[in-house]
Amino acid sequence: MEFEESGIGEECGAFGCVAAGEWPTQLEVAQILTLGLVALQHRGQESAGIVTSNGANQPTYTTLKGMGLVNTAFKAEDLLKLRHGNLGIGHTRYSTTGDSELQNCQPFVVDTLHGKIAVAHNGELVNAGALRKKVMRHGVGLSTSSDSELITQLLALTPPMEEDDAPNWVARIKNLMTETPTSYSLLVMHKDVIYAVRDPYGNRPLCLGRLVPISKLQGSGDGDTEGWVVSSESCSFQSIGARYHREIQPGEIVQISKSGVKTLSVVPRPEGDPPAFCIFEYVYFARPDSIFEGQMVYTVRQRCGRQLAIEAPTDADVVSTVPESATPAALGYAQESGLPYVEVLCKNRYVGRTFIQPNTRLRQLGVAKKFGALSDNFAGKRVVLVDDSIVRGNTISPIIKLLKEAGATEVHIRVASPPIRFPCYMGINIPTKEELIANKPEFEDIAGYIGAASVRYLSVEGLVSAVQNGIAASQEKDERIGSTASSNRRIGHCTACLTGKYPLTVPFIKCHLGAKNKEKVKCTIVYSGMELFLYVF
Amino acid sequence: MSCPKKTSTEPHVVQETVIAKGKWVKLEQTTYVDPTGQTRTWETVKRTTRQSDSIADGVGIIAILKRTLHKDCVVMVKQFRPPLGGYSLEFPAGLIDDNESAETAALRELKEETGYKGEVVGVTPVTCLDPGLSNCTTQIVMVNINGDDLENIHPTQQLEFVEVVLIPLDEFQKKIDEVLKKENIVVDAKVYIYAMGMSQAFFKPNELPVLKQ
Repeated sequence: MEFEESGIGEECGAFGCVAAGEWPTQLEVAQILTLGLVALQHRGQESAGIVTSNGANQPTYTTLKGMGLVNTAFKAEDLLKLRHGNLGIGHTRYSTTGDSELQNCQPFVVDTLHGKIAVAHNGELVNAGALRKKVMRHGVGLSTSSDSELITQLLALTPPMEEDDAPNWVARIKNLMTETPTSYSLLVMHKDVIYAVRDPYGNRPLCLGRLVPISKLQGSGDGDTEGWVVSSESCSFQSIGARYHREIQPGEIVQISKSGVKTLSVVPRPEGDPPAFCIFEYVYFARPDSIFEGQMVYTVRQRCGRQLAIEAPTDADVVSTVPESATPAALGYAQESGLPYVEVLCKNRYVGRTFIQPNTRLRQLGVAKKFGALSDNFAGKRVVLVDDSIVRGNTISPIIKLLKEAGATEVHIRVASPPIRFPCYMGINIPTKEELIANKPEFEDIAGYIGAASVRYLSVEGLVSAVQNGIAASQEKDERIGSTASSNRRIGHCTACLTGKYPLTVPFIKCHLGAKNKEKVKCTIVYSGMELFLYVF
Repeated sequence: MSCPKKTSTEPHVVQETVIAKGKWVKLEQTTYVDPTGQTRTWETVKRTTRQSDSIADGVGIIAILKRTLHKDCVVMVKQFRPPLGGYSLEFPAGLIDDNESAETAALRELKEETGYKGEVVGVTPVTCLDPGLSNCTTQIVMVNINGDDLENIHPTQQLEFVEVVLIPLDEFQKKIDEVLKKENIVVDAKVYIYAMGMSQAFFKPNELPVLKQ
């Protein structure tokens, strides 16, 4: 639950839609985009934006942006302005260290030599600092601090050999992909087409869905296709009448048009590196009903819980969860251990993410208000409490105190993910190394530090096997039935924040701008997984 | 027999004489007294199929196709009309059969002409179509079509010479104008007036309609 509490967030959700068949379409593209963004609301609540195109040769782009949740950012009258759209892309943004202003809201729209493009980006460029300088040296001015604007400007650069009247978007996108290896899932809209791109390491997710008539969701043929949708996560598909089609592969550039979906190119990883899909999408960020690599996120979390019970069994009476993100893991733990599963905490869903108070005690009080104890369920018993993460250690201690005061004789904490020790450069704003509990001396006796009877984390090997066994199984099944869908696909996940092994071995410099009120700039050079820190004043 | 003296007489029909009669339509000479008390004649066209004066001759159907996450569309028909010598764009319509209500006739005609199965959501009173020419009356029946229903996805029509045209309610009038520019077709008055009304309701509820040419 600490991810939710401390705001360690996923950087954004992206969604796109193209109506099939004749244009002007009878499909309500703006409504589909809105519903798609609502389903991706967990990936970003700070702001939302939509850009639609009428797909004409001289297209009209209409933009709608707003702060806050999708339901409050867009008004019904505003959506009316988007009714001429035959295709469009949308974006939900998470609070980052960048400014929370409307200008930083995506999608970005810029004019290029071949007309306007709109770009929605999920992820963070690992070499943003160096790239910004390079782009500005080329004479391009940047108006925001976001690297998503950077991507948009890089796409506007003319690749060599391109002619004035024949845009080569594959070349432009490939050019971008050589300039920056990770991490980005991109939607680029140009006139009547959306290009969907996933970086060669596949660090952030992206998948395709096919819109069919609602009553044909179970059994539809190619002739029923009413449109195509592309989304950071598949959880949006069911509610808009789309069937899950497939994932976009790492390095793949897909063209989505009114006539269908076409792979334009697949950019390989350098030197045979394995893919690096962020493992925390499985652990925490994604919605449990989303599908990655052929497996449902809920199932993986449940498997993590089972693995945790195998690695760290407990002599206790009941198993429970910190609602809601840890519930699948807690159920898995209960199933494997044979202990009964009960609910011990009642969550007040109207208490938002507690403010990150400078004063630890105030934060602890804030957390306490969010939960109440269901004392009848566990009074006089030894409780195993499963949580999905402990990062700083501040949020779990008040919960343990609450349970003990309500009658739990022992509270054993089982964490369904390994401890985080290293920073992330791919977009997850993990606290600085010093703040991470796993790096502090207190970690030696973390149980004593937080007031628990015992604390055990899932091992890295355990997490990786829980994630990867499911993929291997579905690949085997595909091979047995003769499907070429997922055979020969390498499996690989980024576990850098857990192990310190970064997916890229090429040295690069990343300038990490600390919190707004910090004066010094910390630059980190990562070489072969080692970190060298440089402080610049 | 003495008739009460009136200073102004109510206009009324005195006599109806059939001049010509076909299978479906007849021509009559109507002798009537006008509001000033003078006796005059009028040439009147009537259908031979009318059952009674309390039921309309026929029905017109305003059917809206409703599909989830799609724009609501009006279902219209395009067909060759011999009296025009050309094509018309109209609401689906038909005559009311013996012992049929307006609602039943509407759903039957809609299914025959377009293949859609609908539900009646309202009926107008009996209204006249072209009272200077004929006594023909119609009732307009409002119908909703559940477009998510399997039956209503790519439905098969039973009449092949009728072309089904779906036009979104959103900017209905504008889309009809576009069709008129592209094709040599005459739009039915009821359709165009309805379109103008929808434009008003959608966009400028407080202004009078102005048609710029």
